[in-house]
Amino acid sequence: MRRSASRKTGQPNSTPSLNSSPADLFRSASSKATTKELERIDALYYSYANGSSAMIDPEGIEALCSDMEVDHTDVRILMLAWKMKAEKQGYFSLEEWRRGLKALRADTVNKLKKALPELEKEVKRPTNFVDFYSYAFRYCLTEEKQKSIDIESICELLDLVLGSQFREQVDFFVEYLKTQNDYKVINNDQWMGFYRFCNEISFPDFSNYDPELAWPLILDNFVEWMLAKQS
Amino acid sequence: MSGQKKKNFQIEAFKHRVMVDPKYAEKTWKILEHAIQEIYNHNASGLSFEELYRNAYNMVLHKFGEKLYSGLVTTMTSHLSDISKSIEAAQGELFLEELNRKWLDHNKALQMIRDILMYMDRTFIPSTHKTPVHELGLNLWRDVVIHSCKTQIRLQDTLLELVHRERNGEVINRGLMRSIIKMLMDLGSSVYQDDFEQHFLEVSANFYGLESQQYIESCDCGDYLKKAERRLNEEMERVSHYLDARSLEKITNVVEKEMIENHMHRLVHMENSGLVNMLVNDKYDDLGRKYNLFRRVANGGLLIVRDVMTSYIRDTGKQLVTDPERLKDPVDFVQRLLDLKDKYDKIISLAFNNDKTFQNALNSSFEYFINLNARSPEFISLFVDDKLRKGLKGVSEEDVEVVLDKVMMLFRYLQEKDVFEKYYKQHLAKRLLAGKTVSDDAERSLIVKLKTECGYQFTSKLEGMFTDMKTSQDTMQGFHESLGAELGDSPSLTVQVLTTGSWPTQPSATCNLPAEILGVCEKFRSYYLGTHTGRRLSWQTNMGTADLKAIFGKGQKHELNVSTYQMCVLMLFNNADRLSYKEIEQATEIPASDLKRCLQSLACARVKSVLRKEPIGRDIAEDDAFSVNDKFSSKLYKVRISTVAAQRESEPENQETRQRVEEDRKPQIEAAIVRIMKSRRVLDHNNIVAEVIKQLQSRFLPNPVVIKKRIESLIEREFLERDKNDRKLYRYLA
Repeated sequence: MRRSASRKTGQPNSTPSLNSSPADLFRSASSKATTKELERIDALYYSYANGSSAMIDPEGIEALCSDMEVDHTDVRILMLAWKMKAEKQGYFSLEEWRRGLKALRADTVNKLKKALPELEKEVKRPTNFVDFYSYAFRYCLTEEKQKSIDIESICELLDLVLGSQFREQVDFFVEYLKTQNDYKVINNDQWMGFYRFCNEISFPDFSNYDPELAWPLILDNFVEWMLAKQS
Repeated sequence: MSGQKKKNFQIEAFKHRVMVDPKYAEKTWKILEHAIQEIYNHNASGLSFEELYRNAYNMVLHKFGEKLYSGLVTTMTSHLSDISKSIEAAQGELFLEELNRKWLDHNKALQMIRDILMYMDRTFIPSTHKTPVHELGLNLWRDVVIHSCKTQIRLQDTLLELVHRERNGEVINRGLMRSIIKMLMDLGSSVYQDDFEQHFLEVSANFYGLESQQYIESCDCGDYLKKAERRLNEEMERVSHYLDARSLEKITNVVEKEMIENHMHRLVHMENSGLVNMLVNDKYDDLGRKYNLFRRVANGGLLIVRDVMTSYIRDTGKQLVTDPERLKDPVDFVQRLLDLKDKYDKIISLAFNNDKTFQNALNSSFEYFINLNARSPEFISLFVDDKLRKGLKGVSEEDVEVVLDKVMMLFRYLQEKDVFEKYYKQHLAKRLLAGKTVSDDAERSLIVKLKTECGYQFTSKLEGMFTDMKTSQDTMQGFHESLGAELGDSPSLTVQVLTTGSWPTQPSATCNLPAEILGVCEKFRSYYLGTHTGRRLSWQTNMGTADLKAIFGKGQKHELNVSTYQMCVLMLFNNADRLSYKEIEQATEIPASDLKRCLQSLACARVKSVLRKEPIGRDIAEDDAFSVNDKFSSKLYKVRISTVAAQRESEPENQETRQRVEEDRKPQIEAAIVRIMKSRRVLDHNNIVAEVIKQLQSRFLPNPVVIKKRIESLIEREFLERDKNDRKLYRYLA
């Protein structure tokens, strides 16, 4: 039985833009970027990269964030990582950097900063969001062969990624996760299940929730806990 | 005569001059009419059959059939009118007799008339589609006599009156009744039905309705049923004696309805004498009667009986299994269950005609309440243990089989057969190791039964245990043969080598064996490993026993049978008179809880104990001091100290076993899920759950929540995945 342990992200994330913004920020820019732009992108990379490893490490990222005037725990950095298809949390490789900045048509810090709002919008489009959501989980798997993330980190991640969209659900679920004892970690199946849950199940009455169906058990328990609280 | 030529001589037939006398018909008819009258006046002997027949024949021949026929009708009618009047005139009791007599006369007369008029019957009547003579006679009788307004009602009343009198115990003239009823039947089934049967049934319904009401107020159930049965038999007899056979079903239906169906609920639930009371007191006759009577009621008669019985058995059973007093003695608990089953088996066979539906109801009830108590599997195993240890001593082989079959029957009702397996293994291990089984054959017989019931896998490990015992015997023989001389004065050692995996696992604990023992143990180890390379042996010090010869202070000699732990403790006293708990613990390195228990049985026994403890008392503290009890005495030379017999588990032990069972179930559930998904490839959640339950139900009933958890675990380990589009589906990952 083959057990796939790959953590590569799946689908390409740049789609031909549907909005009529004259800015050509979202057009797949790999072939259109000029040589000058590419040179500037590389130069920008090396300005943040660590000398010995030739990768942008957490320090470099922090520097980048402060230059962009964005907090390094901001969700937009995660979105940037997604755009780059960065594999390792806290690090950007040259290839990833090139990929991301080319797609954003940004070759300076300023342009990068200006690209962030559009990036946000792009991520929030339903087709992209699922991919982003799924990516967010994988991005946090730091060890080789790691399959689950501890509760603390999950709570933070949920807040970061879903907080704006599903404030109440996230708050209650986080509370539940912190009080229950059955689970010490969350796996990908449960992570994805929660997103589906937020989208499909009416809150807070859960009237269309059926525990006999294939919902992950942790969500069955969550609903039970909520209903007990409410009565 | 002048010369005439000779003519041909002809002889003419002699012709009888048949006069077409207009008065001929009238005359002939008068003869016949007169004859009929004579017949009716019982003067038929003076008549000539042949002459009358001829007269009738002639009339028909000469086309006077119509006159003959109508004449017949007229004459007969007038005679019957007279007869009718005379019947009407009959007084009281004589009415029926008179009617009967006249009827019989009429039949005779009719027969004679028919014979005389047979030619007409055969020729004139069919061609003119008139009613044949016999039938005509009956119809006329019916219309003129029976249906004369007075007679009709009077006849009906009289017949019903007689039936009523007979029902009240009087003797009536059955022959007369039979004859009259037969008359009605002969007149046509509609006559029988309209003039008699219909009213008979109506009146009977009223009668039994009233009677049943009376009885039900005054009798208890058993008596009532006896009465109902008696009435039913009575009616059946009545029909066979003087009613039409086709009335049988109708009248029995009436009785059944009035006496039974209308009072079903009351009869079943009657206080102090209803069904439950009969069941409790084993009233086989009453129960049989009830069964037979209720069976006759088409809609739901037996259903009520069965339902009431079922709910009563369920309640009784439920009480039994949840009563805390009962739960203290497992063997008694199981015996009571068996007794309950026996009782109802007997009732069903003696009183309920071995009715399959009742048998099924009994089985489902047992299945219901046995599984209400989570410890039933353990208790059944303890029961078997008790039987195989001593209960079946001296019992014949057939009786042993009977007991074991009964145990199997209880086993079949268990939902959690895997729990039983666990306990059975434990208890069997103890029995085998202590050599405490009454009959090897009985043990094997039970294993075979379990194998037949559950398949090879269930019993393969159990059989492994038996094999180990046998092999160990052979090993010991080999050991003694090859090292016999060397062993000399060492303690005599008997080793049972147990294959790990077949035997219930025990965590092995530390224990320092006395030097003498260690020596011979090592000799065995090297002997064994010499012949079986690649194996590992570890001494299970918590499972062994030892026989020690002891001499006490006053010279008493005893042989003490103790556990290995106890042996270690006692041997210490060969070299010291007094030891504290701490010292003993240090020397033996036996785990604290086991050591305390072992010391308690040595020093704190009710009867004189082998060791003395200071201070006296059951609890053992670090500084307690132990010494040999020089005053020890016992009537027997051989004294058993260790308790190796299987006992019902304490609560914490029970929890532990339950946990282990739950753990064992997880891989079984996962294996089932994988099997199912491998063959189906794609399946939705509900179906997986249903299939898993189906596959495993011969061992235990899996919890849907647990199944879900296992599915999620399999998803995590990438054996399965969720379908990307339909979230209810799972997909098998090859």
